[in-house]
Amino acid sequence: MEIEKGKTAKYLKEKREVAQEVKDKQKEFLKIKKAILDALKEDALTIDQLTQKLNMAKHEVVFYLMSLVKYGFVQTGDVDDMDEYFSYKLKNNG
Amino acid sequence: MISKQKITSFDALIIGGGIAGGEAALNIANTGYKVLLIEKDLSIGGKMILLSKVFPTLDCAACITTPKVSEISRHPNITLFTSCEVSKINKIDENNFEATIIKKPRYVVIEDCTACQLCEQACPVSVPDEYQFNLVGRKAAFIPFSIASPKAAAIDIENCILCGACEKVCPTNCIDFTQDTEEYQVHINTVILATGFKLFDPLLMPRYGYGLYKNVITSMQMERELAPTRPFNTILRPSDGKVPDKIAYVLCTGSRDASIGNPICSQICCMYSIKQSQLLMGALPMADVTIYYINIRSFGKGFEEFYQQAKGMGVNFVKGKIGKISEKENGNLILRYEDINENRVKEAEHDMVVLSVGVLPNQDATKLFKTDELKLDPYKFIHQVDSLLSPAKTSIDGVFVAGTASGPMDIPDSILFAGSASSEAISYLIQHK
Repeated sequence: MEIEKGKTAKYLKEKREVAQEVKDKQKEFLKIKKAILDALKEDALTIDQLTQKLNMAKHEVVFYLMSLVKYGFVQTGDVDDMDEYFSYKLKNNG
Repeated sequence: MISKQKITSFDALIIGGGIAGGEAALNIANTGYKVLLIEKDLSIGGKMILLSKVFPTLDCAACITTPKVSEISRHPNITLFTSCEVSKINKIDENNFEATIIKKPRYVVIEDCTACQLCEQACPVSVPDEYQFNLVGRKAAFIPFSIASPKAAAIDIENCILCGACEKVCPTNCIDFTQDTEEYQVHINTVILATGFKLFDPLLMPRYGYGLYKNVITSMQMERELAPTRPFNTILRPSDGKVPDKIAYVLCTGSRDASIGNPICSQICCMYSIKQSQLLMGALPMADVTIYYINIRSFGKGFEEFYQQAKGMGVNFVKGKIGKISEKENGNLILRYEDINENRVKEAEHDMVVLSVGVLPNQDATKLFKTDELKLDPYKFIHQVDSLLSPAKTSIDGVFVAGTASGPMDIPDSILFAGSASSEAISYLIQHK
Protein backbone atom coordinates (compact mmCIF):
# COMPACT_ATOMS: atom_id res chain seq x y z
CA MET A 1 0.00 0.00 0.00
CA GLU A 2 1.24 3.47 -0.86
CA ILE A 3 1.74 5.62 2.21
CA GLU A 4 1.04 9.32 2.00
CA LYS A 5 2.80 11.57 4.52
CA GLY A 6 0.27 13.09 6.90
CA LYS A 7 -2.23 10.26 6.31
CA THR A 8 -0.41 7.34 7.90
CA ALA A 9 -3.08 6.45 10.49
CA LYS A 10 -4.92 4.60 7.72
CA TYR A 11 -1.85 2.39 7.27
CA LEU A 12 -1.79 1.31 10.91
CA LYS A 13 -5.58 0.92 10.99
CA GLU A 14 -5.26 -1.82 8.40
CA LYS A 15 -2.62 -3.61 10.47
CA ARG A 16 -3.98 -3.11 13.96
CA GLU A 17 -7.48 -3.20 15.38
CA VAL A 18 -8.43 -0.63 18.01
CA ALA A 19 -9.65 -2.43 21.15
CA GLN A 20 -13.36 -2.07 21.93
CA GLU A 21 -12.45 -0.98 25.47
CA VAL A 22 -10.44 1.95 24.08
CA LYS A 23 -13.35 3.00 21.83
CA ASP A 24 -15.77 2.75 24.76
CA LYS A 25 -13.55 4.86 27.01
CA GLN A 26 -13.27 7.55 24.34
CA LYS A 27 -17.06 7.64 23.93
CA GLU A 28 -17.47 7.86 27.71
CA PHE A 29 -15.03 10.79 27.89
CA LEU A 30 -16.88 12.65 25.13
CA LYS A 31 -20.19 12.05 26.91
CA ILE A 32 -18.88 13.32 30.26
CA LYS A 33 -17.14 16.26 28.60
CA LYS A 34 -20.39 17.30 26.94
CA ALA A 35 -22.34 16.89 30.17
CA ILE A 36 -19.88 19.02 32.16
CA LEU A 37 -19.66 21.74 29.51
CA ASP A 38 -23.48 21.83 29.18
CA ALA A 39 -23.85 22.07 32.96
CA LEU A 40 -21.46 25.01 33.11
CA LYS A 41 -23.19 26.89 30.26
CA GLU A 42 -25.57 28.78 32.53
CA ASP A 43 -23.47 29.52 35.56
CA ALA A 44 -20.21 28.81 37.36
CA LEU A 45 -20.57 25.74 39.59
CA THR A 46 -18.65 24.08 42.40
CA ILE A 47 -17.72 20.40 42.25
CA ASP A 48 -20.48 19.63 44.73
CA GLN A 49 -23.07 21.39 42.54
CA LEU A 50 -21.77 19.65 39.42
CA THR A 51 -21.94 16.29 41.17
CA GLN A 52 -25.59 16.82 42.01
CA LYS A 53 -26.41 18.02 38.51
CA LEU A 54 -24.59 15.21 36.71
CA ASN A 55 -25.32 12.42 39.17
CA MET A 56 -21.70 11.31 39.12
CA ALA A 57 -19.24 10.36 41.85
CA LYS A 58 -17.42 13.43 43.22
CA HIS A 59 -13.93 12.09 42.59
CA GLU A 60 -14.86 11.41 38.96
CA VAL A 61 -16.14 14.96 38.57
CA VAL A 62 -12.84 16.23 40.02
CA PHE A 63 -10.82 14.12 37.56
CA TYR A 64 -12.79 15.03 34.44
CA LEU A 65 -13.27 18.67 35.40
CA MET A 66 -9.56 19.15 36.07
CA SER A 67 -8.79 17.45 32.76
CA LEU A 68 -11.08 19.93 31.01
CA VAL A 69 -9.29 22.78 32.81
CA LYS A 70 -6.00 21.37 31.49
CA TYR A 71 -7.40 21.03 27.96
CA GLY A 72 -8.52 24.65 28.01
CA PHE A 73 -12.32 24.25 28.07
CA VAL A 74 -12.93 25.27 31.67
CA GLN A 75 -11.32 27.78 34.02
CA THR A 76 -11.20 28.16 37.76
CA GLY A 77 -13.48 30.79 39.26
CA ASP A 78 -13.77 32.19 42.76
CA VAL A 79 -13.30 30.33 46.01
CA ASP A 80 -16.13 30.26 48.57
CA ASP A 81 -16.22 32.32 51.79
CA MET A 82 -14.64 29.47 53.78
CA ASP A 83 -11.72 29.24 51.29
CA GLU A 84 -12.59 25.59 50.73
CA TYR A 85 -14.28 25.06 47.38
CA PHE A 86 -13.63 26.77 44.06
CA SER A 87 -16.25 27.33 41.42
CA TYR A 88 -15.53 26.49 37.79
CA LYS A 89 -16.77 28.19 34.63
CA LEU A 90 -16.49 27.81 30.89
CA LYS A 91 -13.39 29.34 29.43
CA ASN A 92 -14.01 32.22 27.13
CA ASN A 93 -12.01 31.17 24.09
CA GLY A 94 -13.56 33.90 22.06
CA MET B 1 7.19 -6.77 14.82
CA ILE B 2 10.86 -5.77 14.89
CA SER B 3 11.80 -4.04 11.69
CA LYS B 4 15.50 -3.43 11.44
CA GLN B 5 18.88 -4.61 12.65
CA LYS B 6 21.37 -1.80 13.00
CA ILE B 7 24.96 -2.18 14.11
CA THR B 8 26.87 0.65 15.65
CA SER B 9 29.58 1.24 18.26
CA PHE B 10 30.23 3.59 21.20
CA ASP B 11 32.80 3.93 23.96
CA ALA B 12 30.26 3.86 26.79
CA LEU B 13 26.72 2.66 27.21
CA ILE B 14 24.74 4.29 30.01
CA ILE B 15 21.47 2.68 30.96
CA GLY B 16 19.08 5.15 32.58
CA GLY B 17 18.58 8.83 31.75
CA GLY B 18 17.80 10.08 35.23
CA ILE B 19 19.96 12.56 37.08
CA ALA B 20 22.74 9.99 37.77
CA GLY B 21 22.83 8.57 34.25
CA GLY B 22 22.71 12.05 32.73
CA GLU B 23 25.53 13.31 34.92
CA ALA B 24 27.70 10.28 34.12
CA ALA B 25 26.96 10.71 30.39
CA LEU B 26 28.02 14.37 30.46
CA ASN B 27 31.23 13.61 32.38
CA ILE B 28 32.29 10.90 29.94
CA ALA B 29 31.22 12.85 26.85
CA ASN B 30 33.11 15.94 28.03
CA THR B 31 36.35 13.94 27.98
CA GLY B 32 35.83 13.15 24.32
CA TYR B 33 34.33 9.66 24.48
CA LYS B 34 31.24 8.69 22.53
CA VAL B 35 28.33 7.84 24.79
CA LEU B 36 25.06 6.07 24.10
CA LEU B 37 22.45 7.03 26.71
CA ILE B 38 19.44 4.75 26.89
CA GLU B 39 16.19 5.84 28.53
CA LYS B 40 13.09 3.65 28.67
CA ASP B 41 10.74 6.60 29.12
CA LEU B 42 9.75 9.26 26.56
CA SER B 43 11.91 11.89 28.29
CA ILE B 44 15.16 11.94 30.19
CA GLY B 45 15.31 13.51 33.65
CA GLY B 46 14.09 10.53 35.67
CA LYS B 47 12.14 11.17 38.83
CA MET B 48 13.94 14.43 39.64
CA ILE B 49 12.45 16.30 36.68
CA LEU B 50 8.98 15.67 38.12
CA LEU B 51 9.77 17.13 41.56
CA SER B 52 8.66 20.54 42.78
CA LYS B 53 11.71 21.62 44.78
CA VAL B 54 14.71 19.92 46.34
CA PHE B 55 15.74 19.70 49.99
CA PRO B 56 17.27 21.28 52.02
CA THR B 57 17.80 24.36 49.84
CA LEU B 58 14.28 24.52 48.38
CA ASP B 59 15.79 25.18 44.96
CA CYS B 60 13.45 24.62 42.04
CA ALA B 61 14.04 21.05 40.78
CA ALA B 62 13.11 21.94 37.20
CA CYS B 63 15.55 24.86 37.21
CA ILE B 64 18.39 22.47 38.07
CA THR B 65 17.29 19.63 35.81
CA THR B 66 16.29 21.55 32.68
CA PRO B 67 19.76 22.93 31.77
CA LYS B 68 21.23 19.48 32.46
CA VAL B 69 18.82 17.59 30.20
CA SER B 70 19.15 20.27 27.55
CA GLU B 71 22.95 19.90 27.61
CA ILE B 72 22.63 16.12 27.38
CA SER B 73 20.23 16.37 24.43
CA ARG B 74 22.51 18.59 22.36
CA HIS B 75 25.94 17.25 23.36
CA PRO B 76 27.83 16.18 20.21
CA ASN B 77 29.31 13.13 21.97
CA ILE B 78 26.03 11.86 23.40
CA THR B 79 23.57 9.82 21.37
CA LEU B 80 20.26 9.76 23.18
CA PHE B 81 17.76 6.95 22.70
CA THR B 82 14.42 7.44 24.46
CA SER B 83 11.60 4.84 24.52
CA CYS B 84 14.34 2.21 24.43
CA GLU B 85 15.24 -0.79 26.48
CA VAL B 86 18.37 -2.89 26.55
CA SER B 87 17.29 -6.49 26.16
CA LYS B 88 20.68 -8.18 26.68
CA ILE B 89 24.37 -7.50 27.12
CA ASN B 90 27.07 -10.03 26.31
CA LYS B 91 30.65 -9.55 27.42
CA ILE B 92 32.66 -10.79 24.45
CA ASP B 93 36.05 -10.23 26.10
CA GLU B 94 37.93 -7.57 28.08
CA ASN B 95 36.72 -4.07 27.14
CA ASN B 96 34.26 -5.47 24.60
CA PHE B 97 30.54 -5.72 25.20
CA GLU B 98 27.71 -6.29 22.77
CA ALA B 99 24.29 -4.94 23.67
CA THR B 100 20.92 -5.49 22.02
CA ILE B 101 18.65 -2.47 22.23
CA ILE B 102 14.97 -2.39 21.41
CA LYS B 103 13.62 0.99 20.35
CA LYS B 104 9.86 1.30 20.62
CA PRO B 105 8.05 3.47 18.08
CA ARG B 106 7.05 6.96 19.25
CA TYR B 107 5.01 7.48 16.05
CA VAL B 108 6.47 10.99 15.86
CA VAL B 109 9.65 12.06 14.07
CA ILE B 110 11.33 13.88 16.98
CA GLU B 111 13.52 16.06 14.76
CA ASP B 112 10.50 17.41 12.86
CA CYS B 113 8.21 18.05 15.87
CA THR B 114 7.98 21.68 16.95
CA ALA B 115 6.05 20.86 20.16
CA CYS B 116 3.21 23.13 18.97
CA GLN B 117 0.69 20.87 20.79
CA LEU B 118 -1.86 21.13 17.97
CA CYS B 119 -2.01 17.32 17.90
CA GLU B 120 -2.83 17.33 21.61
CA GLN B 121 -5.68 19.77 21.07
CA ALA B 122 -7.08 17.74 18.19
CA CYS B 123 -6.85 14.34 19.88
CA PRO B 124 -10.31 13.25 21.11
CA VAL B 125 -8.99 10.68 23.59
CA SER B 126 -8.40 11.36 27.27
CA VAL B 127 -6.67 8.90 29.61
CA PRO B 128 -5.08 9.26 33.06
CA ASP B 129 -1.80 11.17 32.90
CA GLU B 130 0.96 9.00 34.36
CA TYR B 131 3.28 12.02 34.59
CA GLN B 132 0.74 13.65 36.94
CA PHE B 133 0.34 10.34 38.78
CA ASN B 134 -3.21 9.91 37.48
CA LEU B 135 -4.59 13.02 39.17
CA VAL B 136 -5.69 14.45 35.83
CA GLY B 137 -6.07 13.32 32.21
CA ARG B 138 -3.87 13.59 29.14
CA LYS B 139 -4.46 13.01 25.44
CA ALA B 140 -3.34 9.96 23.44
CA ALA B 141 -1.29 12.36 21.29
CA PHE B 142 0.70 14.20 23.91
CA ILE B 143 3.89 15.86 25.07
CA PRO B 144 4.81 14.00 28.27
CA PHE B 145 5.28 17.20 30.33
CA SER B 146 6.21 20.80 29.67
CA ILE B 147 9.95 20.43 30.38
CA ALA B 148 10.32 17.02 28.75
CA SER B 149 13.50 16.39 26.81
CA PRO B 150 13.28 15.75 23.94
CA LYS B 151 10.32 18.11 23.85
CA ALA B 152 8.35 16.32 21.21
CA ALA B 153 4.94 14.72 20.98
CA ALA B 154 4.36 10.99 21.27
CA ILE B 155 1.43 8.77 20.45
CA ASP B 156 0.12 6.45 23.16
CA ILE B 157 -0.73 3.72 20.70
CA GLU B 158 -2.47 1.52 23.30
CA ASN B 159 -5.11 4.23 23.78
CA CYS B 160 -5.11 5.74 20.29
CA ILE B 161 -8.27 5.23 18.21
CA LEU B 162 -6.33 5.85 14.98
CA CYS B 163 -8.73 8.61 13.93
CA GLY B 164 -5.92 10.56 12.25
CA ALA B 165 -7.03 13.90 13.80
CA CYS B 166 -3.48 14.56 15.02
CA GLU B 167 -2.02 14.07 11.56
CA LYS B 168 -4.54 16.41 9.96
CA VAL B 169 -3.49 19.35 12.15
CA CYS B 170 0.25 18.67 12.31
CA PRO B 171 1.96 21.53 10.44
CA THR B 172 5.18 19.59 9.87
CA ASN B 173 3.72 16.15 9.08
CA CYS B 174 5.91 14.68 11.81
CA ILE B 175 3.38 12.09 12.96
CA ASP B 176 4.22 8.76 11.40
CA PHE B 177 2.11 5.69 12.16
CA THR B 178 4.33 3.56 9.93
CA GLN B 179 7.09 3.56 12.56
CA ASP B 180 7.92 0.14 13.91
CA THR B 181 10.00 -1.37 16.69
CA GLU B 182 13.69 -1.25 15.83
CA GLU B 183 16.50 -3.42 17.10
CA TYR B 184 20.08 -2.22 17.42
CA GLN B 185 23.23 -4.24 17.99
CA VAL B 186 25.75 -2.00 19.72
CA HIS B 187 29.41 -2.62 20.49
CA ILE B 188 30.65 -0.80 23.57
CA ASN B 189 33.74 -0.75 25.75
CA THR B 190 32.18 0.00 29.12
CA VAL B 191 28.73 0.08 30.73
CA ILE B 192 27.24 2.25 33.48
CA LEU B 193 24.06 1.09 35.14
CA ALA B 194 22.00 4.06 36.31
CA THR B 195 18.66 2.31 36.42
CA GLY B 196 17.44 4.15 39.51
CA PHE B 197 14.87 2.92 41.96
CA LYS B 198 11.21 2.04 42.16
CA LEU B 199 8.76 3.60 44.55
CA PHE B 200 6.90 1.39 46.99
CA ASP B 201 3.36 0.62 45.86
CA PRO B 202 1.09 1.49 48.81
CA LEU B 203 -1.62 -0.82 47.46
CA LEU B 204 0.49 -3.50 49.15
CA MET B 205 -0.51 -1.99 52.53
CA PRO B 206 -4.32 -2.13 52.38
CA ARG B 207 -4.63 -0.92 55.99
CA TYR B 208 -3.68 2.58 54.78
CA GLY B 209 -6.56 2.62 52.32
CA TYR B 210 -4.63 3.88 49.29
CA GLY B 211 -6.70 3.39 46.15
CA LEU B 212 -9.84 2.96 48.25
CA TYR B 213 -9.90 6.34 50.02
CA LYS B 214 -9.38 9.08 47.44
CA ASN B 215 -7.83 11.50 49.94
CA VAL B 216 -4.99 9.13 50.73
CA ILE B 217 -2.33 10.04 48.19
CA THR B 218 1.36 9.27 47.72
CA SER B 219 4.22 11.69 48.23
CA MET B 220 4.81 11.80 44.45
CA GLN B 221 1.18 12.84 43.92
CA MET B 222 1.67 15.62 46.50
CA GLU B 223 4.94 16.52 44.77
CA ARG B 224 2.97 17.10 41.58
CA GLU B 225 0.30 19.11 43.42
CA LEU B 226 3.08 21.37 44.72
CA ALA B 227 4.94 21.75 41.41
CA PRO B 228 4.50 24.83 39.18
CA THR B 229 3.19 22.51 36.43
CA ARG B 230 0.67 20.99 38.82
CA PRO B 231 -2.52 19.19 37.85
CA PHE B 232 -4.87 21.50 39.81
CA ASN B 233 -4.92 25.25 40.32
CA THR B 234 -3.86 24.73 43.95
CA ILE B 235 -3.61 21.89 46.47
CA LEU B 236 -6.92 20.04 46.33
CA ARG B 237 -8.37 16.84 47.67
CA PRO B 238 -8.90 14.35 44.82
CA SER B 239 -12.18 13.17 46.40
CA ASP B 240 -14.12 16.43 46.17
CA GLY B 241 -11.84 19.30 45.14
CA LYS B 242 -11.74 20.78 48.64
CA VAL B 243 -8.72 22.82 49.70
CA PRO B 244 -7.38 20.71 52.60
CA ASP B 245 -6.60 22.30 55.93
CA LYS B 246 -5.44 19.38 58.05
CA ILE B 247 -2.86 17.27 56.26
CA ALA B 248 -1.01 14.25 57.68
CA TYR B 249 2.19 12.59 56.49
CA VAL B 250 2.78 8.91 57.20
CA LEU B 251 6.51 8.31 57.14
CA CYS B 252 8.16 4.94 56.48
CA THR B 253 5.35 3.71 54.22
CA GLY B 254 7.06 0.69 52.71
CA SER B 255 10.42 1.28 54.41
CA ARG B 256 11.87 -0.01 57.69
CA ASP B 257 9.16 -2.62 57.62
CA ALA B 258 10.20 -6.26 57.41
CA SER B 259 6.54 -7.31 57.15
CA ILE B 260 6.38 -5.95 53.60
CA GLY B 261 9.89 -7.14 52.71
CA ASN B 262 11.79 -3.85 52.95
CA PRO B 263 13.55 -3.56 56.32
CA ILE B 264 15.91 -0.73 55.34
CA CYS B 265 15.56 3.04 55.59
CA SER B 266 14.86 4.81 52.28
CA GLN B 267 17.02 7.77 53.37
CA ILE B 268 14.95 10.42 51.56
CA CYS B 269 11.40 10.14 52.95
CA CYS B 270 11.97 12.14 56.16
CA MET B 271 13.53 15.02 54.29
CA TYR B 272 11.16 15.13 51.29
CA SER B 273 8.21 15.04 53.70
CA ILE B 274 9.70 17.92 55.69
CA LYS B 275 10.29 19.75 52.40
CA GLN B 276 6.68 19.20 51.29
CA SER B 277 5.38 20.27 54.70
CA GLN B 278 7.23 23.59 54.36
CA LEU B 279 5.93 24.07 50.82
CA LEU B 280 2.41 23.30 52.03
CA MET B 281 2.71 25.88 54.80
CA GLY B 282 3.64 28.37 52.08
CA ALA B 283 0.86 27.36 49.67
CA LEU B 284 -1.83 26.98 52.36
CA PRO B 285 -0.86 29.29 55.24
CA MET B 286 -3.90 28.31 57.34
CA ALA B 287 -3.29 24.56 57.03
CA ASP B 288 -2.16 22.29 59.86
CA VAL B 289 0.48 19.78 58.80
CA THR B 290 1.33 16.80 60.99
CA ILE B 291 4.15 14.35 60.33
CA TYR B 292 3.83 10.92 61.94
CA TYR B 293 7.31 9.38 62.22
CA ILE B 294 9.29 6.60 63.87
CA ASN B 295 12.59 8.52 63.89
CA ILE B 296 13.53 11.66 61.97
CA ARG B 297 16.75 10.90 60.13
CA SER B 298 18.23 14.29 59.29
CA PHE B 299 21.76 13.10 58.64
CA GLY B 300 22.96 15.22 55.71
CA LYS B 301 24.43 18.68 55.34
CA GLY B 302 21.85 21.24 56.40
CA PHE B 303 19.21 18.57 57.09
CA GLU B 304 18.89 19.09 60.85
CA GLU B 305 18.56 22.86 60.36
CA PHE B 306 15.89 22.15 57.72
CA TYR B 307 14.01 19.95 60.20
CA GLN B 308 14.24 22.62 62.91
CA GLN B 309 13.03 25.20 60.36
CA ALA B 310 9.91 23.10 59.69
CA LYS B 311 9.24 22.88 63.43
CA GLY B 312 9.67 26.63 63.68
CA MET B 313 7.16 27.12 60.88
CA GLY B 314 4.59 25.19 62.89
CA VAL B 315 4.74 21.69 61.40
CA ASN B 316 3.55 19.25 64.04
CA PHE B 317 5.79 16.19 64.55
CA VAL B 318 4.25 13.16 66.26
CA LYS B 319 6.39 10.16 67.12
CA GLY B 320 3.92 7.46 66.26
CA LYS B 321 3.37 4.51 63.99
CA ILE B 322 0.10 4.46 62.06
CA GLY B 323 -1.80 1.21 62.46
CA LYS B 324 -4.83 1.89 60.32
CA ILE B 325 -6.55 4.60 58.33
CA SER B 326 -10.33 4.68 57.95
CA GLU B 327 -12.60 7.09 56.10
CA LYS B 328 -15.51 9.17 57.33
CA GLU B 329 -18.53 9.95 55.18
CA ASN B 330 -17.27 13.45 54.39
CA GLY B 331 -13.98 12.06 53.04
CA ASN B 332 -11.98 12.95 56.15
CA LEU B 333 -9.63 10.28 57.43
CA ILE B 334 -9.18 8.82 60.90
CA LEU B 335 -5.62 7.80 61.69
CA ARG B 336 -5.26 5.24 64.46
CA TYR B 337 -1.73 5.31 65.78
CA GLU B 338 0.54 4.37 68.62
CA ASP B 339 1.87 7.49 70.32
CA ILE B 340 5.37 6.23 71.11
CA ASN B 341 6.18 9.00 73.62
CA GLU B 342 2.96 8.55 75.61
CA ASN B 343 2.86 4.79 75.03
CA ARG B 344 -0.82 4.64 74.14
CA VAL B 345 -3.07 4.24 71.12
CA LYS B 346 -4.70 7.42 69.83
CA GLU B 347 -6.85 8.57 66.94
CA ALA B 348 -6.63 11.78 64.93
CA GLU B 349 -8.76 13.21 62.12
CA HIS B 350 -7.21 14.74 59.00
CA ASP B 351 -8.76 15.74 55.70
CA MET B 352 -5.89 14.49 53.57
CA VAL B 353 -3.15 11.90 54.14
CA VAL B 354 0.13 11.70 52.25
CA LEU B 355 1.95 8.36 52.33
CA SER B 356 5.71 8.96 52.28
CA VAL B 357 6.50 5.95 50.14
CA GLY B 358 9.90 4.33 50.30
CA VAL B 359 12.60 3.38 47.82
CA LEU B 360 12.75 -0.12 46.37
CA PRO B 361 15.42 -1.67 44.15
CA ASN B 362 14.93 -1.68 40.41
CA GLN B 363 16.00 -5.17 39.45
CA ASP B 364 15.63 -4.68 35.68
CA ALA B 365 19.41 -4.63 35.14
CA THR B 366 20.00 -8.07 36.63
CA LYS B 367 18.51 -9.97 33.73
CA LEU B 368 20.50 -8.08 31.07
CA PHE B 369 23.81 -9.88 31.43
CA LYS B 370 23.85 -13.25 29.74
CA THR B 371 27.53 -14.14 30.00
CA ASP B 372 28.39 -12.79 33.47
CA GLU B 373 26.52 -12.54 36.73
CA LEU B 374 25.60 -9.09 38.02
CA LYS B 375 25.56 -9.61 41.78
CA LEU B 376 22.99 -7.96 44.03
CA ASP B 377 23.27 -7.04 47.70
CA PRO B 378 20.94 -8.60 50.31
CA TYR B 379 18.33 -5.92 49.59
CA LYS B 380 18.43 -6.54 45.80
CA PHE B 381 20.27 -3.34 44.90
CA ILE B 382 23.34 -3.71 42.66
CA HIS B 383 26.23 -5.02 44.75
CA GLN B 384 29.24 -2.72 45.13
CA VAL B 385 32.22 -5.08 45.27
CA ASP B 386 34.48 -2.47 46.87
CA SER B 387 32.19 0.09 48.45
CA LEU B 388 34.96 1.95 50.30
CA LEU B 389 37.73 2.30 47.72
CA SER B 390 35.91 1.86 44.41
CA PRO B 391 32.19 2.32 45.06
CA ALA B 392 31.06 2.23 41.42
CA LYS B 393 32.58 -1.21 40.68
CA THR B 394 30.16 -4.09 40.19
CA SER B 395 30.77 -7.82 40.04
CA ILE B 396 31.43 -7.53 36.27
CA ASP B 397 34.71 -5.93 35.25
CA GLY B 398 33.98 -2.91 33.03
CA VAL B 399 30.43 -2.49 34.34
CA PHE B 400 29.86 0.32 36.84
CA VAL B 401 26.89 1.50 38.87
CA ALA B 402 25.70 5.07 39.47
CA GLY B 403 23.04 6.59 41.69
CA THR B 404 20.19 4.79 43.40
CA ALA B 405 20.69 1.58 41.43
CA SER B 406 23.13 0.66 44.24
CA GLY B 407 20.95 1.77 47.16
CA PRO B 408 18.73 4.55 48.47
CA MET B 409 20.33 8.00 48.35
CA ASP B 410 19.38 11.63 47.81
CA ILE B 411 20.01 13.79 44.74
CA PRO B 412 23.42 15.26 45.75
CA ASP B 413 24.70 11.77 46.60
CA SER B 414 23.36 10.41 43.28
CA ILE B 415 25.23 13.11 41.39
CA LEU B 416 28.38 12.49 43.43
CA PHE B 417 28.06 8.76 42.78
CA ALA B 418 27.61 9.43 39.06
CA GLY B 419 30.89 11.35 39.16
CA SER B 420 32.56 8.35 40.73
CA ALA B 421 31.08 5.95 38.16
CA SER B 422 32.09 8.15 35.23
CA SER B 423 35.66 8.55 36.61
CA GLU B 424 35.99 4.79 36.97
CA ALA B 425 34.57 4.21 33.50
CA ILE B 426 36.98 6.74 31.97
CA SER B 427 39.87 5.13 33.85
CA TYR B 428 38.75 1.73 32.53
CA LEU B 429 38.59 3.07 28.97
CA ILE B 430 42.09 4.58 29.25
CA GLN B 431 43.56 1.40 30.73
CA HIS B 432 42.10 -0.87 28.08
CA LYS B 433 42.74 1.17 24.94
